[in-house]
Amino acid sequence: MFVIVADDSRVMRQIVIRTLRQAGYDDWEILEASDGQELYDMVLDNTPDLVLSDWNMPNATGIEALVALRQAGSKVPFGFVTSEGSPEMRAQAEQAGALFLIAKPFTAESFQEVIGPVLV
Amino acid sequence: MTSTAATVDRDQILTITQDVFAAMLDSGEQLAFERFEPAPEFTEPLAAWVDMHAITDFGPLSVRALVNTDMAAGRDITTGLLMLPEGEDVTREDLVDAFGEIANVVGGNVKSLLDATAKLSLPQVDDNGPDSSGAQFLQDLAINWRNHVLVVSLWLLPNTQN
Repeated sequence: MFVIVADDSRVMRQIVIRTLRQAGYDDWEILEASDGQELYDMVLDNTPDLVLSDWNMPNATGIEALVALRQAGSKVPFGFVTSEGSPEMRAQAEQAGALFLIAKPFTAESFQEVIGPVLV
Repeated sequence: MTSTAATVDRDQILTITQDVFAAMLDSGEQLAFERFEPAPEFTEPLAAWVDMHAITDFGPLSVRALVNTDMAAGRDITTGLLMLPEGEDVTREDLVDAFGEIANVVGGNVKSLLDATAKLSLPQVDDNGPDSSGAQFLQDLAINWRNHVLVVSLWLLPNTQN
């Protein structure tokens, strides 16, 4: 499994990766992106199996990256990990083609509950 | 009045802060509690904040979520988030990143409580805090966390239509 974790906070990327390990996904290969533009480029260059992205990032936001990826023909499975989990944002994420939205703060259990079904 | 869209009570701030600290720093354990005594003056202050902006039917609405504490708490938050040994030196870059994320997650959850669809800014961190001239105080809550004190406050920014 090859995953890209995108967040402008290096600390948060470490927390997300650590939580993935705690959730049992400890053999996943992980690349890190620090903004939406880098995420977009990295997905098209590497064709990952899953993207876990922050919403609010500089250069391009996570939702802008997702929309641009879909416009470029990418069908990469995409989920948000964000501090903002309002119904409006969940609807916007789903409409853009995201599979899930995990709200911060999160736990290993919440990762398992949301990511597990996507892997089936 | 757009300011009514920014009604967030102290219990909601407490719940958000407790959830953030328990999940991100304390392995699910509840170690953040409301402080009933006045917050002390921070001798080595540290502040992090995010702003949320919305356009409502009544005009623009801008709310700031601000977290004030002292540098020692910022260092402990940084070592905690990075899972470094307690007391280990941290870089200014990591401290800004880590403490900014605390404000970001607290602010993001506050934003979900606003009665308006808002856009969240990136977090900012500064020793002396933001220029809040013209801002209207909405709510605050002092928190005891381990041996530290943090104050979470909400402000209505001047471009809001009252």
